[in-house]
Amino acid sequence: MQSKANVLQTAEVIEASDLANIISSVTEGNTILYFHIEDLYLSIKTFSAPTAAIAETDTESSVIGPQNALTESLETNLSLLKRRIQNPNLKIKNFVVGPETNTKVSVLYMENIVNEENLDIVIKKIEKIDHPGFNDISILQQLLDEHPFSPFPQYHETVRPDIAVSGLLDGRIVVAMENSNGIIICPISFFELFISPEDYYNRWTTASLLRSLRFFGFFLTIILTPTYISVLTYHPEMLPFDVLLNLQESRGKVPFSPFMEVLFMELVIEILREAGSRMPTKIGQTIGIVGGIVIGTAAVEASLVSNTLIVIVAVSALLSFLPPNFIMSNTSRFVRYFFIFSAGLFGLYGQMLAFAWLFHHLLSLTSLNTPYMTPLIPRKWTDLFDSVVRMPTKFLKYKPGIARAQTKKRPPVDKEE
Amino acid sequence: MMDDNKLKVLNRYHVVFLIQNVIIGTTVLSLPHRLSSMGYSQWWMPLLFGVVANLLLIPMIWLGLKYRNDTLFVIHEKLFGKWAGKTINAILLIYFIVVLSAVSSSFLQLIQVVALVDREITAPLIILLLMTIYIVHGGIKSIARFCIMSFFMTLGLLYFLNWGIADGDIRHTMPIFNFTAKQFFTASKKGLMAIGGFELISFYFPYIINQKKALKHASFGLWLSILFIFFFTFVSVMFFSEWQLKNVLYPVLNLFKEGQLSYLERLDVLGITMWVFLILSTTAAYLWAAKKGIDSIRSSPKKTHLYFVAVFVFILVKFPYMEAFQRILFERVFYLMYALFLWPILLCLIHMIKPKKNEGLE
Repeated sequence: MQSKANVLQTAEVIEASDLANIISSVTEGNTILYFHIEDLYLSIKTFSAPTAAIAETDTESSVIGPQNALTESLETNLSLLKRRIQNPNLKIKNFVVGPETNTKVSVLYMENIVNEENLDIVIKKIEKIDHPGFNDISILQQLLDEHPFSPFPQYHETVRPDIAVSGLLDGRIVVAMENSNGIIICPISFFELFISPEDYYNRWTTASLLRSLRFFGFFLTIILTPTYISVLTYHPEMLPFDVLLNLQESRGKVPFSPFMEVLFMELVIEILREAGSRMPTKIGQTIGIVGGIVIGTAAVEASLVSNTLIVIVAVSALLSFLPPNFIMSNTSRFVRYFFIFSAGLFGLYGQMLAFAWLFHHLLSLTSLNTPYMTPLIPRKWTDLFDSVVRMPTKFLKYKPGIARAQTKKRPPVDKEE
Repeated sequence: MMDDNKLKVLNRYHVVFLIQNVIIGTTVLSLPHRLSSMGYSQWWMPLLFGVVANLLLIPMIWLGLKYRNDTLFVIHEKLFGKWAGKTINAILLIYFIVVLSAVSSSFLQLIQVVALVDREITAPLIILLLMTIYIVHGGIKSIARFCIMSFFMTLGLLYFLNWGIADGDIRHTMPIFNFTAKQFFTASKKGLMAIGGFELISFYFPYIINQKKALKHASFGLWLSILFIFFFTFVSVMFFSEWQLKNVLYPVLNLFKEGQLSYLERLDVLGITMWVFLILSTTAAYLWAAKKGIDSIRSSPKKTHLYFVAVFVFILVKFPYMEAFQRILFERVFYLMYALFLWPILLCLIHMIKPKKNEGLE
């Protein structure tokens, strides 16, 4: 009976009794060939899903380094990754999630490096998922979160195969999904969400400079406008006389309190951003001009806001776009409002308490049961080679502590003595 | 959290910074004033306190090593029997609540004087307590992590001493022994509370992973904070006159005030608001200990106990018409702290006298 399958190169034999298999084969787009006399079913691949060509990434582009982005076809994505790691230790486990959509999910890992405990957690979580259907891997990512109420992303989602590969080589686990451009890398630490792959292709000096800019920019963007509020409302004595005079002059005709002024301006920026994000590029430019020049200048001339505030809001808006991870950049916007309200309530004291909240929250977050704040509080001293300062590449041969990679020579990192 | 089912959670860094950060509270800000009866000769007193504290650590840790899985509350019940033990624990619990109130109220008074001038402190107090509860929710390990974070956050405050050093006079440090015995005792009595906080190790000792080396790590943390306290005291002695030391209530804050950047003045506002990190780590540790106290008295651990303690603290700080009583209470409670410093020595003696079968050795 097998001989018939041997003639048809792409055919696969299906047991006659296995009706479910036959049906799923049809829904996948295959043709079923039935031989009456032998009672033989052949499933023939007569359908190939249209896939987009491999293209450059729009959202995570870089000047140097690989330009290709992942596509929406799982098969293409896996081949893009396998092409980069030619090693039998690269293993793939396949799952199907979502009872309505039957979406394929693949878990990739390096068998010789990955931490098996982490792998078990990921697999168990995927097997336990109870969600009707999946349009994108971001939904899966949120279902895998250990702290679903946190504003912070707990896994890294990217469309760049090179980030996925370096994740795999660190001993991390990569999850890919059919029909989804992105893949998720777990576990990830807070600091790593500020790392751009370009950091590794640049010279170490440039990379360190840009990296610290992104990292400290995150904290700057959440405190700039709140500080304006607390200093003007609660602690004007903190400003030297000349600066205060300058500020009060520019605020002279503004009828609102600093808090309302900031809230108004931040919301305007938020509206501009949201309006611009769905416009076609050509109209988007117009929106930029309307927003930037007309509203900015007109608001000052109409004495709705002060000149100084326009500068501060603009800078903090720009800073919020620095993180390479888009979700993190959105988070910074949300967290800023939290700081604005606490500054409005209690001035600098409120801001510091908000900072205490932020840090404690970050400290208690976990990604795959690994603390989110590594390597700021390093698990291994070698983590410091690749933190705010990226040391030259020859120092970067160590696996990061957060991935808890297998090493034959070293004892497990979380044990003491 | 992931560590809930494990008892031993504190590694060496956690121990170092727990000791270090819990010690530093508001007393550091007023220490040069508290020691002012000794005049300029006070500057080496923090070092002496360090030696005293280090010696006091030894019986605490020795006792802990005898009862490796028990907090001081449980040790009391084992040594004195159930009812006597619970009575002592109840006194300890009251002590913790009063210390918590003393720390929060003294800090909020400073906030009221410096940062939120003439505003009501009710809302800031509630927020402070809620934040403390939030930190304690994660258990002792999350408090320790918070301590590490606040250490690095507040390290920058040392830069503010810059101006004090520049304008100070190093010759103030001489002569060294220019005081009478009475002045020395007054200064020690008032100042020793600045190192209060290390005694909490008796309560989190069972959570330490490497208990044998705990003394080393704890001493390291202790000397780290002594170094800070010493630095503040030393610069105050350099900068202020003896009269100022006697009459300025918070000399360290005034040192911050000296700083002037081209774009920022009144650095004391920034300093005192950043101090909230150090206060939170102190209150969190005491709240955690108080919670363990209620747990042991009621023999059942419950998260709601945290809120009980916080409500008591709130009442104690905001109780109307009792300001004079509060002032005395908050000042005198520290004598109980000195007693608690010495208490483990007594416990060690009782432990040695007691028959061996009651030992909690594993």
